[in-house]
Amino acid sequence: MLTLVGMNHRSASLELRERACFAEGDVPAALSRIRESTSATEALILATCNRVEILTRAKDGPSMAAEIRGFLAKERGLDDETIERHVYVHQGLHAVRHVFSVACGLDSMVLGEPQILGQLKKAYATAREAGSTGPVLDRLLQHALSTAKRVRTTTGISRHAVSVAYAAANLARTIFDDLTGRSALLLGAGKMTELAAKHLASQGVTDLTVTNRTYARAETLAESLGGKAVPWDDFTRELTRVDIVLTGTAAATPVLTKEHVRRAIRARRGRPLFIVDIAVPRDVEPSVHDLPGVYLYDVDDLQDIVDEGLAERRVAAEEAKRMLDIEVLGFDRWRQSADLGPMIAALYEHLHHVGHVEVERYGRRLQSLTAEQREIVLDLTRSLIQKVLHTPIVSLKSAAERGEAGPRVALYREIFGIDHGRTHAIEDSKEAADEAGPGPTHAIQGGKED
Amino acid sequence: MARVLLTVALILHLAGVVFAALGELRHRASLSRAGGFVLLAANAGELLTLIVLGVTAGAFPLRNGPEYLLALGGFVLTLHLVLWFRLQVRAAALVLPPVALLMVLSAYLFSVGDTQDLPLQTEGWFVFHTSIATAGVAALAVSFAMSLLFLVKERALKNKRSLRVLAMLPTLEALDRLGFQALLYGFPLLTLGIATGMVYSSAVHNRLWIWGPKEIFPVIAWAVFAGILWARFARGVRGRRSAILAIAGFAFALLAFVGMVR
Repeated sequence: MLTLVGMNHRSASLELRERACFAEGDVPAALSRIRESTSATEALILATCNRVEILTRAKDGPSMAAEIRGFLAKERGLDDETIERHVYVHQGLHAVRHVFSVACGLDSMVLGEPQILGQLKKAYATAREAGSTGPVLDRLLQHALSTAKRVRTTTGISRHAVSVAYAAANLARTIFDDLTGRSALLLGAGKMTELAAKHLASQGVTDLTVTNRTYARAETLAESLGGKAVPWDDFTRELTRVDIVLTGTAAATPVLTKEHVRRAIRARRGRPLFIVDIAVPRDVEPSVHDLPGVYLYDVDDLQDIVDEGLAERRVAAEEAKRMLDIEVLGFDRWRQSADLGPMIAALYEHLHHVGHVEVERYGRRLQSLTAEQREIVLDLTRSLIQKVLHTPIVSLKSAAERGEAGPRVALYREIFGIDHGRTHAIEDSKEAADEAGPGPTHAIQGGKED
Repeated sequence: MARVLLTVALILHLAGVVFAALGELRHRASLSRAGGFVLLAANAGELLTLIVLGVTAGAFPLRNGPEYLLALGGFVLTLHLVLWFRLQVRAAALVLPPVALLMVLSAYLFSVGDTQDLPLQTEGWFVFHTSIATAGVAALAVSFAMSLLFLVKERALKNKRSLRVLAMLPTLEALDRLGFQALLYGFPLLTLGIATGMVYSSAVHNRLWIWGPKEIFPVIAWAVFAGILWARFARGVRGRRSAILAIAGFAFALLAFVGMVR
C-alpha cells in the first residue's frame, strides 16, 4: 500500500513548512531512518520551499500513515496538534494521483509551474541513490515524470505567462529571434525595474544600460546587473542602439516622448524596438506605439496577458486532469498485474499441496506400484492441477488488464480456500515472490514440461 | 497517365493542406506532421507528373501556360517543405501549400497534359527562360508568404490582443529575414527570366518587347522588387512597408501567368 504524508503551501504556513523541511544533504540519512524506524519498504522525500512530502510503500496501509506522521513529528520536532491540523495523508490510488498532479504542477502555488518537475526528478534520484526505492516507487516515479513531460507539451500548461516580467520576456521572444546577447536600456533604478531587468537578464539579455535621474543609483543598479550606467541626459542616444527599453521611473509625466523615439527610428534602419513601461503613472507617451516598428506595452497590457495566461492555464489544467485520470488508471492496472504473480504462485502452491497430501493418503494402496509407475501417478496429479488452473488464471490476468483484478482475487481466495496469512504476499509482490520459495515453482515447471 | 497521376496528387495536396492547417491552428503536432508527409507525397506526385509529361512528349515539360503553372505550384510546395522540415517555419503551412494548390489546380483546370492543340516550344533559350522564370516566381512566393505572415504578426503585436496568433507565428525578425532572403534568390532569377524572355522574343518575333500581360506584369513586379531592395540597402527600410510591397510585387508576377493560359 502506498502512503503519502505531507504538507504544502495550502495546508501549512511558510514558517511551518520551513520547520518541517529536510535540508538537501539530510535526505539520504532521513530516508534510511524511515526504513529503520517504520515498516516502510520503499521511501522518497520531496522537500521544496512549497511542500514537504514523504511517500512510502509498506505492507500495512492504515498504520503506515500513523507511523510516518509520527516519524515526521519526531524528526522535525512538531507537536501532535500541528500534525493533526496541517498534515494531509493520501493512500493507495489517491497517493498515486497526488504524485502525478504534483509532477505536472497541478498542485503548485503557480498552476503549471515547471520547477517542480526538476525537483521531483532530483528527489527521486536521491532516493534511488540512497537505495530506498523499489519496484513500485521506481515504476510510479518514472511513470509520473514521463506523464508530466507529456502533459506539459500536450496541454501547454506552462506556456502561458503568469507574471508581468514573464509576459514582457515572452513578448520580446515573439519579436526577436533570440534574446541572447540582446541589449536593453533601463530608465529608472527602482525595485520594479530591477526585478524586470533581472528576469530579462535571466533570458539572456546581457547588454544592459541603466540610467536614472540620480546617477549614483543608476551606477549601483548597473553594477549589480553587470551592465553600465549612462547619465540621464544622454539616454536618448541609446535609443538608436538598444533592442528593448524598460521604463519604471517615479516621474509624474512621460519621460520618453514620441519625438524622442521618432528621432531614433531612422538611425535604427528598421530594426524593431520593444518598449516595456511598467511605471504608474506611465513613463512613455502612448502614441509611441503608433510609430512603425515600435511596440509599446504598459502595465495594463501586460496584466491582460497575465490574466489571459492564467485563464489558459486553468483550461490546460482541466485537460491535464483528464490525462492524469487515464495515467492513474494505467498505473493501477500495472500494479494489479504485478500483484498477480504472488497470488498465482500461492494458488499453485495450495493446489499442489493438496495433490501431495492426497498422494500420501493413498500411499499404502499405491505401494504395489513400481517407482516408475509411482512417478506417472505424480505427473498425472500435477498435470491435472495445471489443467484445472489454466482457465481461472487466464481469466484473472485479463481481469487485471481491465483493472478489475481486486474483487476477483478475493473471490479466488474464498473459492480455493487460500488464507490471508499465507498470501499477504499479494499486497507485496517482491517479498512474496521470494517467500513463495522453490517448492511450488518447481511443481509448476514440472507440470508445464509435461 | 499524367492526368490520373495529377488527380491523385491534387487530392493528396488538398488533404495535406487541410491536415497541416488544422494541425497548426489547433496545436496538434501529430496532425501537422501527418499533413507534412501527405504534402510530401503530393509534391512527389506533381513533380512526377511533370516528368511523365516530358517523357510522353519527348521534350522538356515547360512548354505552355498550364505546364508552367504546374511546375510553379510544384516548386512552391517543394520550397514550403524545405522551410517546414529543414527550417521549422511551421506557420508557412497556412499560406504556401494553399497557394501552391491554387496553382496546381489552375494547371489542372486549364487541362495540363491535354496538349495536342497547344504549340510546342522547345528551343534551348525558351526552356532556359521558362525554368528560370518559374523558379524565380516560386522563390518570390516564399517572400510573399513570409511578408503576409509578417503583416499578420505585426498587426497582432500592435493590437496587443491576439496572443494565440503571436505564439503561433515565427518571430517578427525571422519573418522579415526569411522574406528578404527569398527575395534575394527570387529577384536575380526574375531579372534573368525577363532578360532571356526578351532575347527569345527578339529571336522569334524579331521584337525585343511586346505589349502583352506576360511582358508588362513581370516588369512591373521587377520594378517593385527593385524598389524594395533599393530601399532596404540604401535607406534601411524594412518591416511593414517592405512586406506590403513584396505582396504587391508577387501579385504582379502572378498576373503574368494570366497572359499565358488564356
